[in-house]
Amino acid sequence: MYDVWKNALAEIEQQISTANFSTWFQDTSLLSTEDGEIKIGVKNSFYVKQLRNRYLDLIKTALENNNITVNNIDFEVQSGTKPKVRPREITPTDTVVKSRIKKVKTELTNQPTNTGLNNKYTLDNFVVGSNNDLAVSAARSIIDSPGDRYNPFFLYGGPGLGKTHLVQAIGNELLKKNPDLKIFYTPISHFYSDFIDAVKLGKGKEFNLKFRKLDVLIIDDFQFIVGKEKSQEEFFNIFNDLYQLNKQIIVTSDRLPSQIKSVDERLASRLTWAGAFDLQLPKFEDKCAILRAKAELMGAEIEPEAIEYIAENVNTNIRDLEGEFSTILLMSEVRGLTPLELIENGAVSVNKTSKLRPVSAKQIVEKVAKYYELPVKEMCGKSRVAHIKTARQVAMFLLSKELSLSTNKIAAEVGVKDHTTVMHGVKKIEKDLKLNFTLRDQIEEIKEKIYG
Amino acid sequence: MKIKVTQEKLSKALNNVSRIAIGRVTLPILNNVLIRVDNKKVSLVTTNLDMAVVDFLPVSSSEDGVVTVPAKLLAEFVSNLPKGETIEISSEDTKVTITAGKYSSTINGALADDFPELPEINEDSAVVYKIGVDEFKNSVGQVTIAASNDLTRPALTGVYFNTYDNILAIASTDGYRLAEKKLIDKVESEVKAIVPATSLQEVLRSINDEVEEVEISFNEDLVRFRFGEVEVISKLIDASFPDYQKLIPKDNNIKVTLGRDELVRVTKLAALFARSVGGSIICETKSPNIFSVKSIANEFGENDSEIETKVEVEGRVNLNSRFLIDALNALEEKEIDFEFSDHIAPIILKNKKSNNYTHIIMPLNS
Repeated sequence: MYDVWKNALAEIEQQISTANFSTWFQDTSLLSTEDGEIKIGVKNSFYVKQLRNRYLDLIKTALENNNITVNNIDFEVQSGTKPKVRPREITPTDTVVKSRIKKVKTELTNQPTNTGLNNKYTLDNFVVGSNNDLAVSAARSIIDSPGDRYNPFFLYGGPGLGKTHLVQAIGNELLKKNPDLKIFYTPISHFYSDFIDAVKLGKGKEFNLKFRKLDVLIIDDFQFIVGKEKSQEEFFNIFNDLYQLNKQIIVTSDRLPSQIKSVDERLASRLTWAGAFDLQLPKFEDKCAILRAKAELMGAEIEPEAIEYIAENVNTNIRDLEGEFSTILLMSEVRGLTPLELIENGAVSVNKTSKLRPVSAKQIVEKVAKYYELPVKEMCGKSRVAHIKTARQVAMFLLSKELSLSTNKIAAEVGVKDHTTVMHGVKKIEKDLKLNFTLRDQIEEIKEKIYG
Repeated sequence: MKIKVTQEKLSKALNNVSRIAIGRVTLPILNNVLIRVDNKKVSLVTTNLDMAVVDFLPVSSSEDGVVTVPAKLLAEFVSNLPKGETIEISSEDTKVTITAGKYSSTINGALADDFPELPEINEDSAVVYKIGVDEFKNSVGQVTIAASNDLTRPALTGVYFNTYDNILAIASTDGYRLAEKKLIDKVESEVKAIVPATSLQEVLRSINDEVEEVEISFNEDLVRFRFGEVEVISKLIDASFPDYQKLIPKDNNIKVTLGRDELVRVTKLAALFARSVGGSIICETKSPNIFSVKSIANEFGENDSEIETKVEVEGRVNLNSRFLIDALNALEEKEIDFEFSDHIAPIILKNKKSNNYTHIIMPLNS
């Protein structure tokens, strides 16, 4: 159809002056020729009248010479000034700006089945990096032969690093391979509340039986077992039964079992029989890979520079990383800007590090003293009593790690004579931390109090 | 064709119409003004094919006919004739003779046949609003400052006439700031149309003191402004305007009332030091009673001014000083409200008493 109009225009061009032709016919287009009803697109209404009054016959003849029946000719205003390049500016929501996120896969719909698994978690969308490759290869070997080499599979790591994702993916992949497998995924909190309910109803046996029939048991967030002795005992029994039948057991936790308070030593050691796998904070390259995978999954366009910016500035965990990423995509859609433009304009600022808010040296000293139930004066005194000395060293350690104070400054803060004492104290704690999990817990708790 | 008219009247009319008759090389006749006399009715017409200006010239005597003459030349010739002189313009074919007392000249015009015909408003289907000329001039001025001249985003180069809640409002935005003025309180008909800002500026230039009312008629793709003897007909911009109501923050929690003149002064002072940083200044509220405007130019020094006002919530925001001054100049009252929240939400500027003008500015990266 376009070619017909080109021919017609060529004919018209020969019959009128170049000035007239280029003015009136330059931006025209043939929109439709159906049933002799000709529709011609023009730039604006100033053109309509001129074309109709002056050039209608010319157009008609030209079209007819190209074998098109012409009963009636109509004109339609078509804005020909559609933006050709993306503007660089902060732009408010334009109702016609095309959605940048073309297709968000039905990513977040929960499809719980009686396995407790959510099928959005797959190994394909789990991004493998140096931070997790060991755990992932173990997971693959479990999928190949469950209940074999890595049984129980104990996975630990901080929040938002993908523990749940990985273990659910194992469950989903196993199910894909063998739909008849009896797999059950449950967070430990559901496990013990279900257990308590079952006991109340006198159905403790059934509860036990239900678990013993399983081929694969996946327990998430095991650290919450703390203080639930009965449930722990029940779990221990189930664990033993399943283990003896070579059924696959998968447990996640945010720390090693031996670091979880009040976990039975027998259970703790059994959980890590086949080794403990940890998920670490992703490195910069891993974070970029995660974001690229996420972008692909969402069908979103994002510049590599924007990905690097987000990766560089989010240092907490993957959940925050993905959260910031989604926020920026949303903002970019709302403002009609590309993510990079948004970042360059400073419309978003990403800065997530584990340092929550600034604290003073004095606050740290006070919190440490309070935690060990010592008066500040006594802690910062000259006492050589072991627990006071430890408290003092913890204070030094935290001042050094959290505020990066110089050893001289730290010496002044905790009332010791010279910086060598501080150096020794910090080193001592660092060394102890590796062996002494109580101390590690204590320091974590103090940190929580400082920043909380 | 022949007309007789005073120098003042003719000069004014030619000034109105000749501005848009420039530099169209593709179709030279667009540089001409069409003079038409049809049964005593005299009209001067120019167009650039985006808009047209028509001036109905009251004349003392006339003979029917039509001709086109280079608009700039005629306008300049007439404006240099002595005031009070009666001018006679007559044409024979394309030769146009202008005589005024001892002055006389002949200009080679062109046949009117090639002059484009103007689109017309369909009076039956048109949506028509009438508004006092002062209110119109003032409001359009307040809004067009925020319009963009970036042709790649046509919607932002216009002023959006839109009705909601039975009011007619006009708004413009360039993506960094937005201005909205409620033009007419109670309207019955609805309109959503983007009028090119350039057309509106042409309207403002052509309005003179004798006019009292502007009549605005909208068709589907055309708008006509009619005031006194002048009509400006313009295309509408065929694009969709941002849903701008959503851009106006509803919950800015930091509000201060400031003297407009004082804020203009301190902003101008701060702007002097903000040149090297693209005009970026820092506005800060400090409880209980300080509003400070600060700017830092590393090589020259820095500026810090304070205004006393009641402050309830502390906060700071970085702004482009030029945008702030533009907005303050558009506000009318002595006291204005300055509202912001954090450094990402736009700030809102309003008159303290009247509520019909809203100006918002996107903060800069801090």
